[in-house]
Amino acid sequence: MKVTLKIFRYNPETDKKPHYDRFVVEAEATDRILDLLESIKNYQDGTLSYRRSCAHGICGSDAMRINGVNRLACKALVKDVGNKVTVEPILGLPVEKDLIVDMEPFFDHYRSVMPYFVGGEENPKKEQMQSPEDRERFDDTTKCILCAACTTSCPSFWASGEYIGPSAMVNAHRFIFDSRDQAAAERLKILNDQYGVYRCHTIFNCTDACPREIQITKAIGELKKAIVTARLD
Amino acid sequence: MLAWILHRITGLGMIVFVSLHVISSFFTQEMGSDWAIAINTVYESIYFQFFIVFCVLYHGINGIRIIILDLWPRMLQYQKEMTWLQWLVFVPIYGLTIFIMIQKLITGG
Repeated sequence: MKVTLKIFRYNPETDKKPHYDRFVVEAEATDRILDLLESIKNYQDGTLSYRRSCAHGICGSDAMRINGVNRLACKALVKDVGNKVTVEPILGLPVEKDLIVDMEPFFDHYRSVMPYFVGGEENPKKEQMQSPEDRERFDDTTKCILCAACTTSCPSFWASGEYIGPSAMVNAHRFIFDSRDQAAAERLKILNDQYGVYRCHTIFNCTDACPREIQITKAIGELKKAIVTARLD
Repeated sequence: MLAWILHRITGLGMIVFVSLHVISSFFTQEMGSDWAIAINTVYESIYFQFFIVFCVLYHGINGIRIIILDLWPRMLQYQKEMTWLQWLVFVPIYGLTIFIMIQKLITGG
């Protein structure tokens, strides 16, 4: 089958403003959108720029807007998106070139929530044990691959780049609800801010966009409740 | 996202209605001006009434759904089911209200 791709193009060195280019690619229904982008880059236009790394839905490099929905290009199949495909960069972050955005504001928010384990003792003599039930408590939020599909699908983030965003909160949740971690109160204090949990208006775009199917709005809801009740249920 | 957008639109709809009502009441009482009465006829029209009933009912029922989700975060994973339930509550109430309004309009009650 022939697939027509309408791709967002912007070269800061030559273009005053972005435009769209159309490409027609021969493809199978089971091909991924990333395969089509590779085909265009290899055989039609070598200047087409996008991020990709593992190409298997693990590294989170190739999040983009495909037919208006944030998806990983390596997980979106032609049969799921149809034979007319519009590909654009994710929204809310500055475009550097074509489908590549500046991820630094996103990672700044990620770093702001202390996304690392804070243990009790400095040099513990033995490993810290955790029951399967306690591990299960934060299992869902361990799956995040930092692709930014959630944060850049959120209207609150589009409205204000200062909003910490769903992804940072998912990663905060992963440590806050870890029974071994000692910095939950500190992280909740960071999130208890006008640009923290309160900017989430339960729109659910993030949950729909997540390629790992993390229940993001639920995680944010649990953080809101933890802040209000000062308890980690 | 549709529920979130509709929540904003219906909120704005209620602000428009209340503002028009306050402005028209004020000018009618103070000056008895014709255009104040004209504003009155805008929100008293049956189409505006259909719209405002939609706004009040949708905003209220959607608000209850959001409050439930905020109080019991576990329900957040059933958000799609909650949204369908919301429409299931909304449609009969709105339908019945519109039916009664049209019936009164026809019978002049």
